[in-house]
Amino acid sequence: MDAGIRTAGLGMTFPGRRGLHRGAPKVAVDGLDLAIPPGRVTGLLGLNGAGKTTTIKIMATLLRPTSGTIHVDGIDVVAKPREVRRRINLIAGGERMVYMRMTGRENLWYFGQLYDVPRTVLRKRIDELLELVGLTKDGDTAVEKYSRGMTQRLSIARGLINDPAYLLLDEPTLGLDAPIARDLRKVVARLAAEGRGVLLTSHYLDEVEELCDHVYLISDGKHLAQGSPEELMAAAGCDRSVRVVITNPSAPIRAIATEFAATLGVTPTIVAGENGELEITIRHAEDVAGPLMSALVTGGAAISQLEALQPNLEDAVLTLAAGGAVPAEAEAVRA
Amino acid sequence: MRHALKVLAAEALKQHRMYFGSPMVLFSMFVWPILQLAATYYTVRPVASSPGIAQRWPLAADPQSLLAFLVTGALGYAFFVSLVQSSWQFSIERQSGTLELLFLTPINRLVLVIANGAGALLQNTWLFACFSTAMLVVLGNTVHVAHPLMFLVVFLALLVPAVAWGAFLNSLLMFARDAALMFTMLEEPMWLFCGVRLPLFALPVWMRAIGSVVPLTGSILVVRGALLDGKGVFDLLPEFGLLAGISALLLGAATLTLKLGEARAQRTGQLSLF
Repeated sequence: MDAGIRTAGLGMTFPGRRGLHRGAPKVAVDGLDLAIPPGRVTGLLGLNGAGKTTTIKIMATLLRPTSGTIHVDGIDVVAKPREVRRRINLIAGGERMVYMRMTGRENLWYFGQLYDVPRTVLRKRIDELLELVGLTKDGDTAVEKYSRGMTQRLSIARGLINDPAYLLLDEPTLGLDAPIARDLRKVVARLAAEGRGVLLTSHYLDEVEELCDHVYLISDGKHLAQGSPEELMAAAGCDRSVRVVITNPSAPIRAIATEFAATLGVTPTIVAGENGELEITIRHAEDVAGPLMSALVTGGAAISQLEALQPNLEDAVLTLAAGGAVPAEAEAVRA
Repeated sequence: MRHALKVLAAEALKQHRMYFGSPMVLFSMFVWPILQLAATYYTVRPVASSPGIAQRWPLAADPQSLLAFLVTGALGYAFFVSLVQSSWQFSIERQSGTLELLFLTPINRLVLVIANGAGALLQNTWLFACFSTAMLVVLGNTVHVAHPLMFLVVFLALLVPAVAWGAFLNSLLMFARDAALMFTMLEEPMWLFCGVRLPLFALPVWMRAIGSVVPLTGSILVVRGALLDGKGVFDLLPEFGLLAGISALLLGAATLTLKLGEARAQRTGQLSLF
C-alpha cells in the first residue's frame, strides 16, 4: 500500500453554465501529480485562481475529479469516499465552519458524533484538543463570543476531532494576528512531527517557507515546479546577495572584488557612493559573505557595512509563475 | 443504528442551540399555532353557522366539535411545518460554511437528513404534550379515545411520516440555493390541501390529489380518527397503510435526491456557493 495522498494526472473541469447566460467550461486543475506523504508538511502554492482550493476539495471528496486518479493510503477517493473521509479532514481560513451559538466544546462534540468517535475517546480528545489550541478556559463559552483567532483555533481543533492521518489546510492563518498565526504554525509543525501528512496552501509565503519540506507550485491548474523551498528558489534563479560598503576605495580593492567575483563566475555590482565610499554587491547561489570579507580585508579594505540577503520564496514563486523571468528588482541588482 | 442515534443526539443539540433554544423562539412556537388556530376558527365559524351546514358538514354545527377538528389539524400542521423550517436552515448552513463540513464527514447522508428532521421534531414534543393536555382539559367531552395508548399511536402517526417528509425536504433544500422561495412554496400547500382547516370532502378533487401525496393528510386523518372518533388501531389500518407507503416513497425519493444532489455538487462545487 502506498502511504500518503497521491494524485496522478488529476484534472477538474467545472461545467459551463447552461441556459440564457451560457458560460464555457472552466478548467481548474489540469494533470497534477502530487504526493503528500505522512509526517511532512507539503505546500501547494500558486497565485489566485491557480487551482489550489479545487485540488484540496478534490482530496477532501467535496469535488469529483473529471480526469486522473487520487488515492489516500492506496484507497481510491472516487470509489470509496466514505473510507477516505475517516482518514482526512479539512481546515479553511476565515471565521466560517463552526456553529456560532454552540460552545467550543459542543462544536467538537457535534462533529465527533458525526465521525462516530467512541464516547470515552471523544470526551478525552475534546479536552486534549481544547488544550492543544489554547481554548480550555473558553471551551464552555458560545463561539459567537470568541475572537476571530479563537474561532480559527477552534476550527483547527474541529479538523482534528476524527484524529485524521491527513490534514488539508487551506489558508489556515488567513486574517489572523501575527502571534496567533505563529502559535498555529507551531501546532501544524507538531502535527507533522507526530506523523500526520499535512497539505498547506497559504498566501503567507514565510509560513510556507518555515513549515514546508516540499512545495508544489501550480499555475492555471498546471504543475510548474516542485521541491524544497531552497530548491524552488534555486530553480527560479533567486541567488543570495552580499553587499559591502568600503570607506577607503581604491583601484586595487576594486580589482580584488572583481577577481573574487570572476572566480565564482559572476560579475559584481560596484557603485560609488555620494560620500566617496564604494558599494560592492555580489549575487551567488552559495553564501559567499565570509570569503569575500576575507579577500577584501586582506587587501586592506575598511568595511563599514556588511549585508547578506537571503533569497525568499516569494521571489521564487513570482519568478516561476511568470514563466521563469527574473524579477525587475533582482535584475537591477545584477546590472 | 448506534451511529444514527449519535447523529440524532448531535442534531437535536445543534438545533436546540441554533434555532429552538431561545425563550423568544419557544414563546413564538407556542403562540403562533394558537394565533393560527384562532384565525382559522373565527374564519370558519361564520360559514359553520350558515343554514344547512349540519347536512353538509355535521361536525361544524357544533362549535366545540369544530374547535376540536381545527385543533387536531393545527397540531399536525405544527409538527410538519417545523420540518419545513428546519430544512430551510440548511441554506444558513451553506452560508456559514458548515454544510460543506457535513459532507466532509463519513456519515450516511440519509441518516443525516433523517436525524436533522427528527432533531427538529424532538424540539416540538413539548408542543404535542401541551396541545394534547389542552384538548383534554378544554374540549374534554369532544375527545373520544379508545385506549390511552392511542395517544402514543397518534404521536407515532405524526412522528414517523413527519420524519420521512423532513428527510425528503432536507434532501431537496440542502442543495437548493434559493431555499427561501421553496420554503414559501411548500408551506402554503400544507395549509391548504391536507385537511388542516377544512375536511377533505370539502376540497376540489385536484386539491385532494395534491394533498394525498403529503403525509400530513394521512397523519391528520389518524389524529382525528383516534382522538375525536374513538377509533382503535385496527379501524385505522387503511390510514396506517397509506402513511407507511407514502413514508417509504418519501425516503426512497430522499435517497435518490441525495445521491443526485451530492453528485451534482461534486461536479459543480455548488455546496460553497450562496
